[in-house]
Amino acid sequence: MRINLSLLKSGIALFLAVCLTSPALAGDIQNKLVAESTIEQVMKRGVLKVGMSTFVPWAMNDKNGQLVGFEIDVAKRLAADLGVKVEFVPTKWAGIIPALLTGKFDVIIGGMSVQPGRNQKVNFSIPYDYTGQAIVANKQLAAGFKSIEDFNKPEVTLSARLGSTSVPAIKQFMPKAKMTLFDDESQAYLEVINGKAHAMVGSAPTPAFQALKNPEALFIPIEGTFTKEPIGFAVRKGDYDTINYFNNWITVVAAEGWLKEIKHYWFETKDWESSIQ
Amino acid sequence: MRKKPKLTLLDAVILLAAFALLGYMGYRITVGLHYKWNWSAIPQYLFRTDENGRWTANLLMQGLFTTIRLSIWATLLATILGTVAGFFRISRSLLKRLLGRTFVELIRNTPPLVLIFIFYFFVSDQIMPVLGVDDFARNASQRTQAVMTFLFAPPRFFTAFISAMVTVAIFEAAYITEIVRAGIQSIEKGQFEASHALGLSWRQKMQYVILPQAIQRILPPLAGQFISTIKDSAIVSVISIPELCFQGMELMAATYLTFECWITITVLYLVLTLSLSLAVERLEIFMRRSTV
Repeated sequence: MRINLSLLKSGIALFLAVCLTSPALAGDIQNKLVAESTIEQVMKRGVLKVGMSTFVPWAMNDKNGQLVGFEIDVAKRLAADLGVKVEFVPTKWAGIIPALLTGKFDVIIGGMSVQPGRNQKVNFSIPYDYTGQAIVANKQLAAGFKSIEDFNKPEVTLSARLGSTSVPAIKQFMPKAKMTLFDDESQAYLEVINGKAHAMVGSAPTPAFQALKNPEALFIPIEGTFTKEPIGFAVRKGDYDTINYFNNWITVVAAEGWLKEIKHYWFETKDWESSIQ
Repeated sequence: MRKKPKLTLLDAVILLAAFALLGYMGYRITVGLHYKWNWSAIPQYLFRTDENGRWTANLLMQGLFTTIRLSIWATLLATILGTVAGFFRISRSLLKRLLGRTFVELIRNTPPLVLIFIFYFFVSDQIMPVLGVDDFARNASQRTQAVMTFLFAPPRFFTAFISAMVTVAIFEAAYITEIVRAGIQSIEKGQFEASHALGLSWRQKMQYVILPQAIQRILPPLAGQFISTIKDSAIVSVISIPELCFQGMELMAATYLTFECWITITVLYLVLTLSLSLAVERLEIFMRRSTV
């Protein structure tokens, strides 16, 4: 019996050894990774699902219920170059990263600034655009305010969009000011127009547009932007094929001058405004 | 003989105060707020003309239709779930009673918003891919897709719609469970005893004696729960289901017509729920008559 037992033992050991050292072929794993990459899945499905959120003039609904805007043009061209159809998934900004991570869409093309904090959760492509934070203030409450320092006081209230990069920007540049956060930009602007907040911090150029639209209530205390933020496509982690494709696609369309062209159309002209309202 | 309604002094004072309050609010909104009203922009978001010059539903009406579809399916599903759980609640088996009770208490004591997030991001994400709902919706034939779009949602929103529907249904089912349980338990004890004395089986007892009476008591609150479902469905806007509330908020973000959009949404919900409330009232009167 003793011999049998040791025989059994060595048998199990041999079996385990064979199992564990069975050659994990590098080629197999590579093929599997390629097949599982988002870009391959998109090609197979024939549809690129793009997560975005309404942000004038990046993405918005026009009169016919169609999505238009800078990001929409970018995503449409990307899908066309891939030879697939594009599908937009309008998502609340605050929940857009969890939605990407749980696979509700393939990529976020939604004016998302590259931020170290976000980068811990998702991977970013190289920037295809730059934005910055601008400030628009209430004429009565913030009368005479001219610099960032004027706003950096405990009695000052600033409004911003929940989950946007305006929040860290405020914390960095105006840490003493109070913040009220809203789900949508329009509510944050309304707070300033109604005189409940001194100023609104948002991505350029919308603060300037709002000041032009409501000249009796709003003004621009500081010209231009006080931050510069790179904007990239966000994808799930660990998928280098997709990132590589997006990076090179951005390099190509930037070299063509196409990105600059559509950026000019959406950000520096107002030709599109009649199609919205 | 109906007495003619008489307006007392107190009534007049209350009415005047109410009108004064409304007038003051109207004044504050138009004068106090620096808000530029632009009602002329709203109708085009309800209906628009397409390329062929025909009228079609635009964002807000599409949202309203999604809300209606979502509410109807969620109520149907919730009624099935709620009926099963309701029978569990009054079952003679301890395990079933415990299960029923746990379900009701867990759901009713959690904020719906929290439930929605949990179901959408965890449950639906684990279950839907296994069931292959998304692939099914995308690969269905043109005709099936058209039917699905009419009954549920377009293929690209199908999975999200189903998740939302299931979530709302589970939430509403907890309330329907209690409606069903209360309906059955409200039947007089004598009815149970009499059917027992007649030697009817449990099934016969329910089918021929208890349920015909209980359903008359269950239907009106069930119809009321349907109205609640419509109102509660607004909550799925947080998981980006294109129903009325979400579409309205998207529109606000694009056009900055905040007040106009909210007021339009309110009116659309009211039109839907008030007309249903009237229908429920009719149903209640009809039920009361048919019992006598």
